[in-house]
Amino acid sequence: MVLDIVSAVLILLGGVLSLAAGVGLLRFSDLLSRMHASAKPQVLGLILVAIAIAIQFPTWATMTTLAIIISFQLVTIPVATHMVGRAGYRTKHLRRSMLYRDELAEAVERAEAREIARERRREHGTDENDN
Amino acid sequence: MSVVLLDITVVATSLLLAASVGLALYRVVRGPSILDRMIATDVVLASMMCGLGGFMALTGRTDLLPVLIVLAMLGFVGSVSVSRYVSKSDSMTPGAEAGSLSDFTASDWHMNSEDDDTAESNAQWPDDVARGIADVSDGPPGTTVPPEADEAHQESTQPAGADDHDEKLTFDLGEKPAAPGRGRDETGGGRDGS
Repeated sequence: MVLDIVSAVLILLGGVLSLAAGVGLLRFSDLLSRMHASAKPQVLGLILVAIAIAIQFPTWATMTTLAIIISFQLVTIPVATHMVGRAGYRTKHLRRSMLYRDELAEAVERAEAREIARERRREHGTDENDN
Repeated sequence: MSVVLLDITVVATSLLLAASVGLALYRVVRGPSILDRMIATDVVLASMMCGLGGFMALTGRTDLLPVLIVLAMLGFVGSVSVSRYVSKSDSMTPGAEAGSLSDFTASDWHMNSEDDDTAESNAQWPDDVARGIADVSDGPPGTTVPPEADEAHQESTQPAGADDHDEKLTFDLGEKPAAPGRGRDETGGGRDGS
């Protein structure tokens, strides 16, 4: 009975996280904020529901399959979110006024400055690899 | 599991998930860009996965566990393909209509700055040219080769084997006469610092 209550509460928490993602999608005003909101049920909600399944049916087959599912989500969700965020950054779907600091722009500026310095060094013929 | 607890859990969870899916569908309809729609679709898919997991936990249908794996893979593939499509179509260089597949790597790995030196920054990445993953045909937009010339050039450089490298570099040298010393230095300059 206690385990039933625990698993019911875990399933309800998964539903609450999913609702939080829906509200975040509705209310947030930026692509990056919406990405922040949408990652909650994909990882945390699914982990809670998987724990509920594992509590109800504690067999080896179920638990190994759930471990496969959760590890797959933990590997693929950051990759997919990174890709979406990179596409959004390049297509400028972000509000500059909502950012405290844009570290990627600083890195891009450093890389461009390095390229310019390399080009200048190459034009003056002082490249050590040049022969 | 007792009947009352089961009923309460089923009704409350389905209400929460239905509200979540409804809000996500509103974002799908209203989303200003395709990336917002993609994120909202991911939330719909995550709600489906949570609902399916709850269904499995409450009714004992643990034979549906592979469906969760399939849904997880579906969400990953959808997000990645849509975001690749978006960033490819946005940063497409003017020579991308020439029909070469390699313009994807040259324009997508490095972020184009929005000011006027995009042509120069495309020409300044010697690593791609040295490794052969970037065709030199999508360089400055003023010197874009027509499709038939591009295909002819690719066919001529295909069977060259080990000398493929030098041929591309000399082609690069001939195409941009404004920078005559660049083609010679590209293999050496690409190695340091990166």
